[in-house]
Amino acid sequence: MSSRPLHRTVVVTDPIGIHTRVAVAVAEIVHRSRSRVKLWVDPAYRAEGTEVIQILGLAAPSGSQVHLEAVGPDAEAVLDALEPVFADFEKQVPCKNSKG
Amino acid sequence: MQKLQGIAVSPGVAIGEALVIDNEGFRIPRRFVDRDAVVDELQRLEKAIAAAGAEIARNRDAVTQELGEQYGKIFEAHLQMLQGASLRNELEEMISQRHYSPEYAVSRTLRRYAQVLQRVEGSLAERASDIFDIEKRLLKHLLGRRREDIAHLTSPVLVLAHNLTPSETANLDRHFVRGFATEIGGPGSHTAIVAEALEIPAVVGLGAFLNEVSGGDLVILDGDKGLVILQPDEETLAHYRHEAEELRLQAARLEQLRDLPAVTRDGTQILLLGNIEFPYEVEHCVDRGADGIGLYRTEFLYLESGQEPTEEVHFDAYCQVVKAMGDKPVTIRTFDMGADKLVRDGSALDEKNPFLGLRSIRLALRNVPMFRTQLRAVLRASVLGKVQIMFPLISTLLELRQAKLFLKDVMEDLDEHGIPFHREVPVGMMVEVPAAVMMLDQLAAEVDFLSIGTNDLIQYTLAVDRSNSQVVHLYNPTDPAVLKLIQLSIASAERCRVPIGMCGQMSATPANTPLLLGLGLRQFSVPPLVIPEIKNIIRHVTLDECRGISERVLGMESAREINSYLADELRKRIPNVTE
Repeated sequence: MSSRPLHRTVVVTDPIGIHTRVAVAVAEIVHRSRSRVKLWVDPAYRAEGTEVIQILGLAAPSGSQVHLEAVGPDAEAVLDALEPVFADFEKQVPCKNSKG
Repeated sequence: MQKLQGIAVSPGVAIGEALVIDNEGFRIPRRFVDRDAVVDELQRLEKAIAAAGAEIARNRDAVTQELGEQYGKIFEAHLQMLQGASLRNELEEMISQRHYSPEYAVSRTLRRYAQVLQRVEGSLAERASDIFDIEKRLLKHLLGRRREDIAHLTSPVLVLAHNLTPSETANLDRHFVRGFATEIGGPGSHTAIVAEALEIPAVVGLGAFLNEVSGGDLVILDGDKGLVILQPDEETLAHYRHEAEELRLQAARLEQLRDLPAVTRDGTQILLLGNIEFPYEVEHCVDRGADGIGLYRTEFLYLESGQEPTEEVHFDAYCQVVKAMGDKPVTIRTFDMGADKLVRDGSALDEKNPFLGLRSIRLALRNVPMFRTQLRAVLRASVLGKVQIMFPLISTLLELRQAKLFLKDVMEDLDEHGIPFHREVPVGMMVEVPAAVMMLDQLAAEVDFLSIGTNDLIQYTLAVDRSNSQVVHLYNPTDPAVLKLIQLSIASAERCRVPIGMCGQMSATPANTPLLLGLGLRQFSVPPLVIPEIKNIIRHVTLDECRGISERVLGMESAREINSYLADELRKRIPNVTE
């Protein structure tokens, strides 16, 4: 399948920014996918999509632009799934299929 | 490299490894591990991660069951961070490639993540607490029972802490402590007093910085400029190594003055005394040829143990000092602290303005049994050497008379019990309230000696709290108003033929020495560390020169103008002296 990286830029609208639970939600989505995802605000520091600590380490407050890069068979789908996570987290049902 | 500005409270320069004491008294023992220990260290890390992980999982399950999945989520997040491959890779690389100890690697790595978050404005910064939580947990498992006790140091360190309490500093192994740096605190703080006593540099009031530093980091502490430098670059390091060496050489040069008298060039003998707080400091005074102890502060007796000292505790401390000084005078000041320090029954006074409140002699006169206990011990020690008693913060004649009355009362009591004491023990008072200066002719007639306490005199004259960074720039020992009060005090003492000295920081500042001599001061009581330096200046000047300087200064309008003039005058007379 395609190995061309797909890119998308999202704006963090969650009032706190990318906080711990957002980072966990991102990592869970990426874990379930078959693609490799990287995130960055500044290209000098790229977080691995499965690493909560690195995603939190983006230190992205509300309003910042986050670049997503996905490579893999379901790249498009994983980007679609990730996009809403950066919006107001509290207003969503957090992690519907949580493992508990 | 990162330079932090704080308040300089004890001079000198120290370069060394950081020992970070956080709120739980954690410390990171060492930075590097041996090359051949790497495999073992990696295993240790592995075990710690597993143990911390199991602990977090237990917490997660318990919280989930009790409060619901939502709340358990946060522990799930910690677990994922802890067990993520990236953290582990980073830590393993630091240990195997750079030979960092696992503790150091953990603290370094996690603090770096936390810092990034803390720099963000807004509530995201609070998420750093999640990272610190993981750090603490890992450290707990890494250090285990070996969690090192700060009382058992084995190598020199600079102690970095949020704040140091009297019991913490009492427990520190003082042979290995080379400096203090704290986030809070001001010039009169406990940290400042202990640092001065240990003769090590200290900087306080740095603001939050402990997250920026890990135990074992190389740190520079500049107690002259009030700087703490983290991760210094080579150039800065070289500069400070040079400076430290210079200071050492200068101290060695001044050491040679030990047995020479403090006499001006035109032959006037000046009394050069030491200020001490702890009995062990008496050695520092003897080593530097002090003419006696001009100020023995006794507050530590009340603070160190957290309870009211018994007469024997007082007596033992005074004995040590008095015996060590032999035939030289020891001026014991009765306790000089605020009511806030006496929380015996938990009902601490809620004072809106403690510096204008129940403190010092006022507190003594209201706690008579406590005051009498101290006076008894001082009197008993008076037969062992040359003891003098000094009352602090006298602001009215009535207060002085009351204090003397209690003393007389205690004397009668000792007489009744046949306990020996020196009946003619000299009694003096501190001049540190402007009201006392104005009434000094009357006060001086009823004492044997006077000592100007500049710290309080400045604070009360200029209405400045020097621990308040907003107004600390107004706290100037050489403010013309302060100098006028000093001039008045010395004139009163001369009229009444009562000896007058000065203790407090002002008399320990080399640039002020010629000015104070010019104003007529003949007794200086200073921290033992600076005795040689002040003696050196005294030996380089004549009283005529000094009078010329003080006359010039009294015509000046601001502390700024005065300070720059005094610095120039000092440089002219004594090249390469520190100001």
